[in-house]
Amino acid sequence: MNAVLLASPEVRGFGADPWWLVLGKAVVIFVFLVLMTLFTILAERRVVARMQHRIGPNRVGPFGLLQSLADGIKLALKEDIIPKAAHKAVFVLAPILSTAPAFMAFAVIPFGPEVSVFGERTHLQLTDLPVAVLYILAVASVGIYGIVLAGWSSGSTYPLLGSLRSTAQLISYEVAMGLSFVGVFLYAGSMSTSEIVAAQGDYWYAVLLFPSFAIYVISMVGETNRAPFDLAEAEGELVGGFHTEYSSLKFALFFLAEYVNMVTVSALATTLFLGGWRAPWPLSLWEGANQDWWPVLWFTAKVLLFLFVFIWLRGTLPRLRYDQFMKLGWKVLIPVAIGWLLMVATVRALNTEYDFDARQVLIYGGIAAAVLIGLTFVWDFVAARSRNAEPPEVTAEWDPMAGGHPVPPLPGQQRPQLTVAGTTAGSTTQTEDHP
Amino acid sequence: MDGFYGGYALVGLVLLVGVAFVTVAFTANRLLRVTVPGGDKALTYECGVDPVGEGWAQSHVRYYVFTYLYVIFAVDAIYLFPWATVFAAPGFGMTTLVEMFVFIGFLAVGLLYAWRKGVLTWQ
Amino acid sequence: MSSTATVLAAATDTGTGEAVTFWVLGPLAVLAALGMLASKKAVHSALLLALTMLSLAVLYLAQDAPFLGVVQVVVYTGAVMMLFLFVLMLVGVDSADSLVETLRGQRVAAVLGAVGFGALLVFALGDAVVTNEGLDQANSEGNVEGLANLIFARYVFAFEVTSALLITAAIGAMVLAHRERHLPKITQRDLSVQRFRGGQYPAPLPSPGVYARHNAVDTPALLPDGTPADASVSRVLAARGDVRSIPEQASTTAIERAAPRREDDGS
Repeated sequence: MNAVLLASPEVRGFGADPWWLVLGKAVVIFVFLVLMTLFTILAERRVVARMQHRIGPNRVGPFGLLQSLADGIKLALKEDIIPKAAHKAVFVLAPILSTAPAFMAFAVIPFGPEVSVFGERTHLQLTDLPVAVLYILAVASVGIYGIVLAGWSSGSTYPLLGSLRSTAQLISYEVAMGLSFVGVFLYAGSMSTSEIVAAQGDYWYAVLLFPSFAIYVISMVGETNRAPFDLAEAEGELVGGFHTEYSSLKFALFFLAEYVNMVTVSALATTLFLGGWRAPWPLSLWEGANQDWWPVLWFTAKVLLFLFVFIWLRGTLPRLRYDQFMKLGWKVLIPVAIGWLLMVATVRALNTEYDFDARQVLIYGGIAAAVLIGLTFVWDFVAARSRNAEPPEVTAEWDPMAGGHPVPPLPGQQRPQLTVAGTTAGSTTQTEDHP
Repeated sequence: MDGFYGGYALVGLVLLVGVAFVTVAFTANRLLRVTVPGGDKALTYECGVDPVGEGWAQSHVRYYVFTYLYVIFAVDAIYLFPWATVFAAPGFGMTTLVEMFVFIGFLAVGLLYAWRKGVLTWQ
Repeated sequence: MSSTATVLAAATDTGTGEAVTFWVLGPLAVLAALGMLASKKAVHSALLLALTMLSLAVLYLAQDAPFLGVVQVVVYTGAVMMLFLFVLMLVGVDSADSLVETLRGQRVAAVLGAVGFGALLVFALGDAVVTNEGLDQANSEGNVEGLANLIFARYVFAFEVTSALLITAAIGAMVLAHRERHLPKITQRDLSVQRFRGGQYPAPLPSPGVYARHNAVDTPALLPDGTPADASVSRVLAARGDVRSIPEQASTTAIERAAPRREDDGS
């Protein structure tokens, strides 16, 4: 009786695999993530190089494909230095604590539907939980410890400040991320990843819940410490951030954790908003696209798409200032997320109680929200214009050697017009005879 | 391995594979890496100048305030998630919607207060 | 009657996996909790507390309470512990316990609270044993759905009060921690103007270690006549008494200074 009741509604088809299949899936997850990391590092270097009119690494292996592998091995063979001031046990624990959760989150990500492996019918997913998405959030919050402890145990100022910043950043964006999930749960009626994918048979939630999707994508970049939100390792201010004192394999583990986290949040975005392993629209017309092993291809393609967006952002956008970053998190993302989820809930309640078409309301609401966000940009732009418009009044004479030192013109003072042979004062254009 | 306890055992398995991965990596690293102790390299990194004093720096209290807000929203999310999951089920709907509006209303008032006071501005 | 018996049997039936989990994690949680109380350093206490909470979370999972288990990690290990960690960073990582009591009647209140909590635990556990609804019945619609049923139907008032309580506590923390700015913020521009208008030394100060043997920030620069330039060392270090005098720095290397001070060998 016990077993029957427990196995009932939540975990259909999971936990019934033979042991070799389970172990195989766990190992495949690791191999997949490590390969994705190696590939993403290479892809990042090649794509960013292309965006900057360079070539990028192309020496090791065909097309430079083995570059990140070579770099990884080289990094792991470096001397391992533990600073004198470090707290040794915690210093060693921190990179492990940061890497392990990154891998664990992938246990509940569905790669595909039910397939046959050596005669066994099984889901292409290690396991599913009734609280799978919440589990991913929980695992992510354990991963933050790795960063905090790294900063702490290094016994150095830069890592400490870097880890503080990084932690405040992660927790701020985790709030927005959690709120963006609520819309998905409202529609899917479940927190299990396989059921969320199953619920996206007709519409992907990226279309139906576009604001949720936008908030998730922004906060996932913040969650992974990636440009333009890579303030934790702002090298001009904090050297390397929380991993300044790390070297050799321990540094490599932090590096690995960052890229695995990128893959994990991308996979979660795919699962929650882009229909998981489901084939995209023109392909989904073909009946076989959502069967057998094909979905693994669609899933990987979608994850790679997100990874490309990460790289694209890095190649395009400059880093935000910390106050701007916190402002975006607390004053834009969170209020918008709350407002949007209340709106979705209202529409959904009206839908179930009075039975009218909610989709149109949501789509129009989404458009309205997008227009509103656009208007705030315009408003900001106009406000900035009017702020910069007024030139300071000239009130005083400029004394270039005030106090015996050469000083620039102060506010209210004006630089006198100087004439140099061959040019006109104040002109910005260069003349032919004076290069 | 049945029921959802089995599901969590599988998560534990991933953790075990992870531990194996880390152990192998650390052992290989220990065997293969160069070790040349001595010199100033065990000193705390300070951009090339000799470190002075300890590594600890006083952190600002505003980090604490933001963490407190995070705690609130974490608890908030914990209520929101089951609410969202059962929302469409018969017998919930409008009633729970109003309940959640009240719940979020309290939080929103607090957040607005903090906003007006300038707590949310990082300065 | 027979159904009650079945439920009872099911409730007392412990699987092997569950037993192993319990006997590994139970002692671990207790030991970590005791270690948390015993350890002198705040850092160690915090880490051990995190370990206790994680063990508890896994125990909840083993008891078929997945939602509670994950919530334990998200809220306690994630959020509340993070709050503790930030407090530790605020007061200093290596700070040890101070045994001075600042609140009067703290011990009496603590004892009363502990007794009250113990009584609550006894009654709650007793209730669970006597009425024994059983997990299977509670989880019959699914763990999350069952909880939602209770929170949003039966315990609605408690749920709403939680939100009020949370936000009250947060506003309290903000009032204590936030300094309201009554004067306009001094910008970089204002500072620059101040520096030049003030008629003091407007150029950058000399950097420490110039013409000296070491380049650490606590070593003052030497002027051409061999005297130390006091302006080259940060005010903070000077106030702390961390500034190195000239004869002392002559023979020390960085690694010696990081180690406990030895006898000067006079070379």
